[in-house]
Amino acid sequence: MDIDDILRDVDPTFHAIPQEKRDLQALTRAWIAERSAPELLPWPSNGLFERINGNIKQQIEKVEEMTGDMDPKTNFALIVIQTELERYRYLVRSYLRARLAKLDRHALHYLSTDALRARLSEMELAYATRHQALLHNHYLSSFLSSFPAGLQNLNDAAGGISMIETPDLESAVFIRALKDTPVEGRGVDTDEAAEMQEGDIVILRWADAKSLVEAGSAELV
Amino acid sequence: MPMYGDLGNKLVQHAKRTQNLTHLPPYQTELVRAVTREVRDLDKDVASLLEPFQGSFDPSADQATACTLLVNHLSMRRNKRCLLAYHRTRTDKLEELVWSGSDVLDLAGQQAGGGNGAGAAVDSGGGSSLSPQEEDYFRQYGDLLAAYKGQWTDVDLTGSLEPPRDLFIDVRVLKDAGEIQTEYGAINLTKNSQFYVRQGDVERLIAQGYLQKLG
Repeated sequence: MDIDDILRDVDPTFHAIPQEKRDLQALTRAWIAERSAPELLPWPSNGLFERINGNIKQQIEKVEEMTGDMDPKTNFALIVIQTELERYRYLVRSYLRARLAKLDRHALHYLSTDALRARLSEMELAYATRHQALLHNHYLSSFLSSFPAGLQNLNDAAGGISMIETPDLESAVFIRALKDTPVEGRGVDTDEAAEMQEGDIVILRWADAKSLVEAGSAELV
Repeated sequence: MPMYGDLGNKLVQHAKRTQNLTHLPPYQTELVRAVTREVRDLDKDVASLLEPFQGSFDPSADQATACTLLVNHLSMRRNKRCLLAYHRTRTDKLEELVWSGSDVLDLAGQQAGGGNGAGAAVDSGGGSSLSPQEEDYFRQYGDLLAAYKGQWTDVDLTGSLEPPRDLFIDVRVLKDAGEIQTEYGAINLTKNSQFYVRQGDVERLIAQGYLQKLG
């Protein structure tokens, strides 16, 4: 806990923001971050998605309730709610699909260690495990089963090259500083260090940006 | 005379081409078999080369044999990579098809329509562009996706990935799609007619090519 957290605790406007709105903000940020980061980010474990699902359900019920009403006023409200609902669903859908795309690409990598597995939600873990099993089975039945036994693995690291591909952590991302913070970026020829001020946007390698983002001093844009 | 890896290279070229195609070209059953055979032959060569040494092979004492072994070893691994790449490219395509909502019967139907009639589909190899294993994979991945999707029913995971702008859109009907139910009543989608409908209601039909969104 640092001074910002303490200030936020006593700030009356912070708690005045309803939970739903904070959830939407959290979702939007998670969505942006997931789409920019080259690797899979941890699944929000604070029940965010349970609440979001609840909200969506609630709104759908509301829409159904209001549909019968032919009053033009309700009709207008209905359109607003439905538009908002579509956007909300789009955010969730796009977020989940972005994660699935990363998961599909490097399934074996994300399944390889406990620390990486912990980033997935239970459903994603089940999906990735099953998907990998399907693929392996497909390879086996298509050609791998007639290979010599020593060559049937999918996770060989012979010759110093692992068969498991990993995401490129050196690819570039844009981050925005959420508070004044020093950054260090490794370049091709020289490394550079700079002082970032709140609101500054810089481009650097994800490997360098990761710790800042995880510490909450910067966010992906 | 063909060299080690030539066949594997062909597979990679097929895979490369597949990436840019909208449909899935026929599965190269023969080629896959030939590459697999090459791996087995190479493995046998390795075994027979090593046999006289009884497990006490010293690479520095017999450099010619060591070199042969290395080349064989690398060729086998290269072939394996080519096979994996080829199959993965195709399964990626298959998964795309599952996401977009097509099914295997559709694919078979296209084949029969475009080929020499329904009889071609029965002939082995000539009909479907999928191998039997791929058809299995297609079905199983469909089940897997359905299971994952089922946990997010309110979101409709296979829905459009374009950010929604308007709740209602103009669409033109390209193919008869019968009657659909919306919360504003039933709409009969007959060819060439035009409607102003809720996007969420017709997304599937647009993806499947029944409707065209008017901009």
